[in-house]
Amino acid sequence: MSTSATDPAAAPPVLRVSGLSAYYGEMRAIYDMSIELQPGDVLAIIGANGAGKSTFLRSLTGLMNHGARSRTQGRIEFLGSRIDGLTPEQVVDAGIALVPEGRRLFSRMTVEDNLMAGAYLPRCRPALSLKLDEIYAMFPRLGERRRQVVSQMSGGEQQMVSIGRALMSSPRLLAFDELSLGLSPAMVDEIYNKLGQIIQAGTTSIIVEQDLKRALSACTRFCVMLEGTIVLEGRPGETSEADIAAAYFGSEPEASHGQ
Amino acid sequence: MGNEDLYWAAIDFANGLLSGAMLGGYYALISVGLALNFGVMRLVNLSHGDWLIVAAYMCVTLISATGMPPFWSILVVAPVMYGIGYAVQRGLLNHVSVQAAERRNMSPSFGLMLSLLVTFGLSIVLSQGMLLLFSANAMSIHNDLSFSAIRLSEDLSISTLRFGFFIAAAVLLAVLALWMKKTHVGRAIRAASDDPEIAGLMGMRTPHIYSVASGVALASASVAGFMIGMSRSFQPFDGPPFLLLAFGVVVLGGLGSLLGSFVGGIVLGVVQVLAGTYFGPASQQMAGYLLILLVLAVRPQGLLAKK
Repeated sequence: MSTSATDPAAAPPVLRVSGLSAYYGEMRAIYDMSIELQPGDVLAIIGANGAGKSTFLRSLTGLMNHGARSRTQGRIEFLGSRIDGLTPEQVVDAGIALVPEGRRLFSRMTVEDNLMAGAYLPRCRPALSLKLDEIYAMFPRLGERRRQVVSQMSGGEQQMVSIGRALMSSPRLLAFDELSLGLSPAMVDEIYNKLGQIIQAGTTSIIVEQDLKRALSACTRFCVMLEGTIVLEGRPGETSEADIAAAYFGSEPEASHGQ
Repeated sequence: MGNEDLYWAAIDFANGLLSGAMLGGYYALISVGLALNFGVMRLVNLSHGDWLIVAAYMCVTLISATGMPPFWSILVVAPVMYGIGYAVQRGLLNHVSVQAAERRNMSPSFGLMLSLLVTFGLSIVLSQGMLLLFSANAMSIHNDLSFSAIRLSEDLSISTLRFGFFIAAAVLLAVLALWMKKTHVGRAIRAASDDPEIAGLMGMRTPHIYSVASGVALASASVAGFMIGMSRSFQPFDGPPFLLLAFGVVVLGGLGSLLGSFVGGIVLGVVQVLAGTYFGPASQQMAGYLLILLVLAVRPQGLLAKK
């Protein structure tokens, strides 16, 4: 039933999280979480509001180390070296990029400026114009509107800019937080279609998504989080939807007494 | 009214417009550092005026020590002031900022208050330090341009010095705006002012970015300080009135906008000089403050700011 059966002789995992806990002040949001990602894996993290999905992404990208009110415990290794304890700047330089929840674009800047901000790191600058062309090829609509201020664009277009901005740093691991939130179904289809292209290119990815069907259709592996820890891992198609739903709501599959 | 009266009325008005606009360039440079500090870091720097005077003293000291031509001094003082601005931001102001307060789980308004208090203290330290070093004697930067004028027509002329200031302000602000727009660091400054957390996710080290912005603010303040020294005499405690002036300009133009500083400076300069022309010199300051009040009442975001 349970998966993550990987060949130990293969290349080192892209990501190895072991015994991760995360705190906001005294409140523990993640409890002893462990997971491994192999090259090319697309991991969907599903779970209800407050299950710790976004906190996991914040821990991964160093945002939990920013300031006194939040902290993490445990190990996070990325391509063989420890990254827990690094600042967000160092994490992105190491090769992890985040498409944050709510898009979080630089609202007064143009499409192109937002994308170029994504290539701020010195290691990204030589290939900047090449990368820009790549993004515009993937999202022709952004190419047409490169001089437009992003706050004047639709939510879907903004999500494209946010994805493009994350791609600008040529990440080895891409994390998407709530891609579909607040977008029309048609736009979600389009965004997930592009996501498919990115995944096809072999970028190891983590998708955090409330929309269970979307998440399962895009991933190669999934885990269900409940109250700060992973309660179920599997591969889509191998685990029954009833089991997933049960884990999602935190009840036994048979006796689901509404929680 | 005869033709002659009409002519003189027109000349008065034109003179007022011209010298007001020229004055505006000078005002803009005095204010742009304050605008940059506020626009990027939400920092209200109460020591801004004192830094202008510090720069003026540096220029005077350098010129009298080396005998170099006055204009050359700014080439030395501006980079030095950049370094000071960077260091003060990095070592002091970054730790008492709105962002620092948020990091420590305190309310942003506490951070705003904290930085107000600290920069107020800095202002006192700076002015007392200048008093200690230079005593209270008035100083100025001697130059040949103070009393020369450019004649546009028989009755219309502008001060050479003020014209020079205007050109310098326009060029400097244009370069600054271009730098903000086109360079990686400029883009990072805009990004960090918009969303510091996400800027960090792009690899931007916000403490460094903020310090660069503060360095640039003080470098531009040093040019303004040089201009102050060229056009009038100054004393250790002359900073705060310039801070007030800069506040007015920044409020007029729109908080944190570079073009706003330029337009705000010119509008304030023109209104002050025209008021002086028609209602006597005493009304100059009054007209300026009335204008600021009016803009605050009708368009509190400033003349040029969006939103």
